[in-house]
Amino acid sequence: MKRDLISIADLGRPDLLRYLEQAAHVEALPAASKSRLLTGRVLAVLFFEPSTRTRLSFEAAMARLGGSVLGFAEATTASVVKGESLRDTARTVERYADILAIRHPREGAARVVAEATGIPIVNAGDGTNQHPSQTLLDLYTLKKYFGTLDGLKIALAGDLKYSRTVHSLVQALALFDAVEFTLVSPPMLRLPEYLRESGPAARAKFAETEVLDDAVERCNVVYMTRVQKERFPDLLEYEKVKDAYCIDARLLQHAAPGLKIMHPLPRVNEIHADVDQTPHAGYFDQVANGVIMRQAIMLDLLGVTP
Amino acid sequence: MTEKTLLIPKIESGIVIDHIPAGLGLKVLEIIHSYPEMSAVVTSVGLNYSSSKIAKKDMIKLQTQALPPRLMQHLAMAAPGVSVKRVERYRVVEKLVITVPETIVGTARCRNPGCITNHERDVVTRFSCVDPGAKRFRCSFCEGIFPIHELEVIVPSLV
Ligand SMILES: [Zn+2]
Repeated sequence: MKRDLISIADLGRPDLLRYLEQAAHVEALPAASKSRLLTGRVLAVLFFEPSTRTRLSFEAAMARLGGSVLGFAEATTASVVKGESLRDTARTVERYADILAIRHPREGAARVVAEATGIPIVNAGDGTNQHPSQTLLDLYTLKKYFGTLDGLKIALAGDLKYSRTVHSLVQALALFDAVEFTLVSPPMLRLPEYLRESGPAARAKFAETEVLDDAVERCNVVYMTRVQKERFPDLLEYEKVKDAYCIDARLLQHAAPGLKIMHPLPRVNEIHADVDQTPHAGYFDQVANGVIMRQAIMLDLLGVTP
Repeated sequence: MTEKTLLIPKIESGIVIDHIPAGLGLKVLEIIHSYPEMSAVVTSVGLNYSSSKIAKKDMIKLQTQALPPRLMQHLAMAAPGVSVKRVERYRVVEKLVITVPETIVGTARCRNPGCITNHERDVVTRFSCVDPGAKRFRCSFCEGIFPIHELEVIVPSLV
């Protein structure tokens, strides 16, 4: 039976560990042998909404494994026939490709495609729901920094209510032992209750605060997200909180040694450029790890052992 | 008790849907009659009875021997907690309590307006129970979690 990567909620701890090991293995391979692993294989990227970073990351991952890429970058191009169902588009493209990465503005789109096709499907973002390769690359980045995910003290800061990156990361990290979450957000952007109460997260330890300063002193990692203006019905409320969740080098003067700052990018002003030169900056490592993790995912789903 | 027999006669044989929370009886009736195989069944409806089990209840009696399985799922969604009794020669011979189902397939619409199932044609919706106590269900597609009463029933004749 074919395998897909649609949602972090489908994965257990052994699955996560398998992906992390596979990524470490892929990273250690010499470039020359890596570049032959997927020779002759084709990745289709169907991006019904633009996301240049994610698309380039998938394309780079495939190119460096020796395979090739086809697809489209947004649904307004002539490549998507007007009125054609998503499943018909996917069933057509599956005749051209061995594996398919889909990004779509509707929640559940990747699942629909996975159930309609016979080739492995990778969800590269379905609306506000899931973006599992982002979560896996975040876990890989954390694993590389700290050696283990057990016992991690992680602060999640910014928009915790709507950020799918945060939601999936909570779901995934809750599968590890003794992870402590510090939730830093304005009251109206708090993490939804159901994420703290359901599944393995019910066992995890959560603390809530509205200020970033002490999280910086107590945690191993601060995961920043963007507070989006569109989320606020009242612009005054937005003005009040928009700078409360920004990190700069001054704030990091009291940081725990070894503290890492992570961010799914693109950033706007959550992280000042003066953080980039400090040893705390982790967000460009995430970009590099993203390519490695996506290679690990494609090799895994295609059943290729490196 | 005489009131009952006045309003809704006993049936010799058939199905009695009992303990429908008062006010939901007509909705349940509409669902039943939306099934083509049920449209011709002789039906009597009683509304707003006193009940020892729930505050006030509605009741429906149908002169038929069985309910379509999908209809049972529908009943569970529209009025969880109802009981279904099969009557022969004026006696109850079988009693089923309709409980919260583990999965709801094809009979409910997702409440999330951004869910792909509300945009892509002919996707069979699927919900699984994540919390039987609170009767909360997760959409298998958008992964949104909703209480059962917030799921909109898809009436089969309109599909
Ligand atoms: Zn849904």
